[in-house]
Amino acid sequence: MTPTTMTPAATTLAATRVFPEWRDKPLDDALGECRDMVESAEFETVQRWRDQGGKVAGHFQVYFPEEIIHATGMLPFKVRGAPLEPTRSDSHFGSYLCSILKTSLELALTNTVEMEMFVSHPICDAARNLAAIWGRNTDYPAQILYLPQNPNSAGSVDYLTHEYDRVKRLAEEVSGVTITDDDLRASIVVFNENRRLLRELYDIKRTTPWLVAAEDAYALVALAGMIPREEHNELLATLLPQIKERSLKKEDRIRVVFEGGFCEQPPFDLIRMLGRTCYVVDDDLLIGLRYITEDVPIEGDPLRQLAESYIDRSSYSPVQHDLRKPKEDMLKARIAGAQADAAILAAAKMCEPGLEEQVTYTHTLDEDEFAYFVSEFEETMSSFDQLELQLETFAENLLFA
Amino acid sequence: MTTLTDTPEIVGRGNREGADLFRDWFTDLNETAKSGNTAAYVFVMGSINEILKTFDFPVTFPEINSLQTAVRRVAHEYLEEAEDYGYSPDICGYVKADVGTQLRGGEHPMAQIPKPGLTVLTNACNTYIKWAEIWERMYGTPMFTIDIPGTRQEGLITLPGEHDFEGDRTYVETQLKELITLCEEVSGTKFDIDKFREVLGYANTMSASWERILDLNAARPSLFNALTDGTIYLGVANGLRGTREGAEYFERLVEEMEYKAANGIGQAIEERYRLVFVGVPCYPIFRRFNELFTDWGGTFVNSTYLWFASGGTNRGFQYDLDNPLTSLAEGILINVRDAMDSMFHQNRAIADMAENFDIDGIIYHPIKSCRTVSTGLADGRKHMTEQFGIPSLFIESDMMDRRVVSEAQMKNRIDAFFEGLASRERQALAGQKG
Amino acid sequence: MITLAYAAGVDVGSTQTKAVIINEGGEIVGRALLDTGANVIQAAENAYIVARDEAGIDEREVEYVVGTGYGRYRVTFGNTQVTEISCHGRGAVHLFPNTRTVVDMGGQDTKAISVAANGEITDFCMNDKCAAGTGRFLGAAAAALDIPLDDLGPVSLTSTKPIKISTTCTVFAESEVLAWIGKGKKIEDILWGVHTSIAARSAGLMRRVGIEDEITFTGGVTRNKGMVKALEERLEKPLNISEDCHFMGALGAALFALDEVKTGRTPVKTGAGVKS
Repeated sequence: MTPTTMTPAATTLAATRVFPEWRDKPLDDALGECRDMVESAEFETVQRWRDQGGKVAGHFQVYFPEEIIHATGMLPFKVRGAPLEPTRSDSHFGSYLCSILKTSLELALTNTVEMEMFVSHPICDAARNLAAIWGRNTDYPAQILYLPQNPNSAGSVDYLTHEYDRVKRLAEEVSGVTITDDDLRASIVVFNENRRLLRELYDIKRTTPWLVAAEDAYALVALAGMIPREEHNELLATLLPQIKERSLKKEDRIRVVFEGGFCEQPPFDLIRMLGRTCYVVDDDLLIGLRYITEDVPIEGDPLRQLAESYIDRSSYSPVQHDLRKPKEDMLKARIAGAQADAAILAAAKMCEPGLEEQVTYTHTLDEDEFAYFVSEFEETMSSFDQLELQLETFAENLLFA
Repeated sequence: MTTLTDTPEIVGRGNREGADLFRDWFTDLNETAKSGNTAAYVFVMGSINEILKTFDFPVTFPEINSLQTAVRRVAHEYLEEAEDYGYSPDICGYVKADVGTQLRGGEHPMAQIPKPGLTVLTNACNTYIKWAEIWERMYGTPMFTIDIPGTRQEGLITLPGEHDFEGDRTYVETQLKELITLCEEVSGTKFDIDKFREVLGYANTMSASWERILDLNAARPSLFNALTDGTIYLGVANGLRGTREGAEYFERLVEEMEYKAANGIGQAIEERYRLVFVGVPCYPIFRRFNELFTDWGGTFVNSTYLWFASGGTNRGFQYDLDNPLTSLAEGILINVRDAMDSMFHQNRAIADMAENFDIDGIIYHPIKSCRTVSTGLADGRKHMTEQFGIPSLFIESDMMDRRVVSEAQMKNRIDAFFEGLASRERQALAGQKG
Repeated sequence: MITLAYAAGVDVGSTQTKAVIINEGGEIVGRALLDTGANVIQAAENAYIVARDEAGIDEREVEYVVGTGYGRYRVTFGNTQVTEISCHGRGAVHLFPNTRTVVDMGGQDTKAISVAANGEITDFCMNDKCAAGTGRFLGAAAAALDIPLDDLGPVSLTSTKPIKISTTCTVFAESEVLAWIGKGKKIEDILWGVHTSIAARSAGLMRRVGIEDEITFTGGVTRNKGMVKALEERLEKPLNISEDCHFMGALGAALFALDEVKTGRTPVKTGAGVKS
């Protein structure tokens, strides 16, 4: 079923639900369902959405203005790699590349995730090639969204507003739905609520990390990229109060900030292992879903408001350049804000921006004599024995120092 | 056939004069450094030399400094120094050789490299940004990143006058004005519009000449080796862009190429196979790499490197001197966008060239260091082969790091590639006879 | 009396050196297989002698010798050299005329080669940056499990509960294999995991050049029945295989040599005697 008229289609799809498993279950079981869904390499929720007649717009890491897609009634799907072997896509790439590019393309080549359009951003030298590769191997639009790397220019907001308008025109063409400013504002309201709930989840991590396991918090965030946002809001609004009411005891663990999850994701088992050893009180895992740090105002031109929010009220990552946001200062602020004892400075294998930032981070934390643990990971790795041994030793050293 | 004794002076003049200008440029940089002054640090894909030369900034290209450590076979020393400092073996070798240079206080085999007084870069390569952030942290150097939005989807090229193109141009022009303000602050001098027009005029001459020179190489036999000779021309195209010396050099180079074309003077070897090079040269074994091809009679008649590493000036874009700043914005947007296209969407251009240049094969040389250039090559080649069926060779190595350059493995493949070409030729001949 | 012409191919590989003598009809009349060892020149010479002895012919009866393999320039008595990539393609099409894809698994590397009907190489691809998916990877696993190389295949075929080996690094293969033993897994299950892991890597390589019917498996690892089965399962296709697949490089070289004999070209080097 193709939505041809604006309002009825958008309304119908806004009511579509694709992840019923967690509902009406005790908290632990509901969280188990969330983990299972995020751990699956099948992305069942997207297929369920399609089965109900919905269209899908894939957007690659890190940040994407999903509101624009949402307003057209399509599902914005976060392309973030997958825990699978890139059997088909491997031959499309050379050596020396990170895994997320290959597993992401694998999803498209194997039709595991079908979509009507794909957008990537030149976040790094490898990913800036992705749209071209994707486009050569699929028959739907595969485009680049050039997010400003010079947000300090007086022209950046005008430019980004124009660029968002271009994305809007593409989304309208692909979805067959023309959208108004009010449609966009309605979507911004949904996403503002989502951002508020995600901030609440991170407050829990920072203040009472023993109430939510690292992998559970991760699963709750990751679902945002694969189910309708309204449904994600319902999920968080239901589970967060239950999490806060848990009667779990604080244990003697070190508090860490995990840095290095802005693009390729560490395997679920690695996050689980981290959670066994430490309290992960803050992190940059899937930071793109939490990139805008405040409500996007709904007055005025909605595209301009989205652009301004990206430029002026946003988080940081190694792949966004902004003279106002030196990454090492931002990391220190994140550590201080979470009252962390240590930082885990991770980078995906072959991830240049991540590896480059590691140098600055380690030098800065050395100057401050702040404890950190450096590591590389790959989304498809399956053996963590050595890493766990090292991390436990690191934690012990801090605890018994 | 021309022999060495009766070769007129004009033949090979571009190589000699290019090498001289290149050396002079480094001598000047050396003097700048020794006198305690700084230089503007810029990059090949959008150097904005047009503005920097208007302010008479000494200009250095860290990419060129780095590749020179590889050509001079000392890159490993610099790489190791940067790796000891914390940079992973998986990070771009250009960045690391520069970090090594900075850690050594600018010591470099060609000159003392001045410290950065200003960094100007574009978003055409993300590593430019991460790189400039290093100097920002080391020295507090002001850095100016110019956003130049590229092609959003293969084949969707916007043109001047179109809504989306003008949106991009306005943004680029705004940033150029901001850069001028920054240059005024750093240099303490006012922007001189007349000087600016003069610089743009020289740049126009260089761009037009560069386009002409590349076109002339369609001659059979080809006039210059796009891999070796071409890199010499490229050094001048970048380092001296917007200068009188640069413009004169390129005018004389056109003269040389036209002379060679008119007299049927080709490269030093007998040309059996005409090749296109895609990627970045193998600087650690620069000469040897080329010989692995020339030994079989293979000559490089063109290279995507000459397109993107000249910042897209191969298009010959001409600035409108009556409307200099708006025109510079348009030219930079078009050139840098084109440079990016020649890395990400090069198939159409190569296919066109295969026809115009009568190509026998394509040599893909993806490198570990540069993911910008290399990431899409395997897939691009796959589609190139499916669509056009031109024989091609895919060899991975590096532009800096000897540890990932295996000459023996390379030779094996290159030999097998030419064995294939030779066998194809024999089959074709047999087919004609049969 | 009619004098028969013979041609020879000597394939100096990283682990083993192979030599093949063929007659004018392209039939193999002599073979040799020796460990390469440290003295590459000597290995090439010895293999050549052994193959001639098996064929029962004199050195002077061999009109042309082509050297191939990584040590091809050390075949000092050879008339010329051809890369093993061309040779494996040529040999495979000779033995199995419908071959369009060749997978050559040797000690140090694996090559995927696509060939046209006339034996012309249309594309090729190698794993050179690491030894994953090669004979050496198998060797590392055999060493960790302390079983003879020749038993690897047969043992792996008895697996009932295969293990998934995640590492693709030969250096780490040993520790991962040991880790599985530590967890009480059966040797055959671990071994089958090693085989399927290599098969997956090789299939990936083959996909780069395009997999087309028929596929011929060549190189030293062809003797390993476990690898044949693992590859066939992975590709969901049967592989062309014969005893002579191990000699494919040398056979191809000999065929190139025979071309030269037939076109009557003067050998580049003549009278290069073999000291024995």
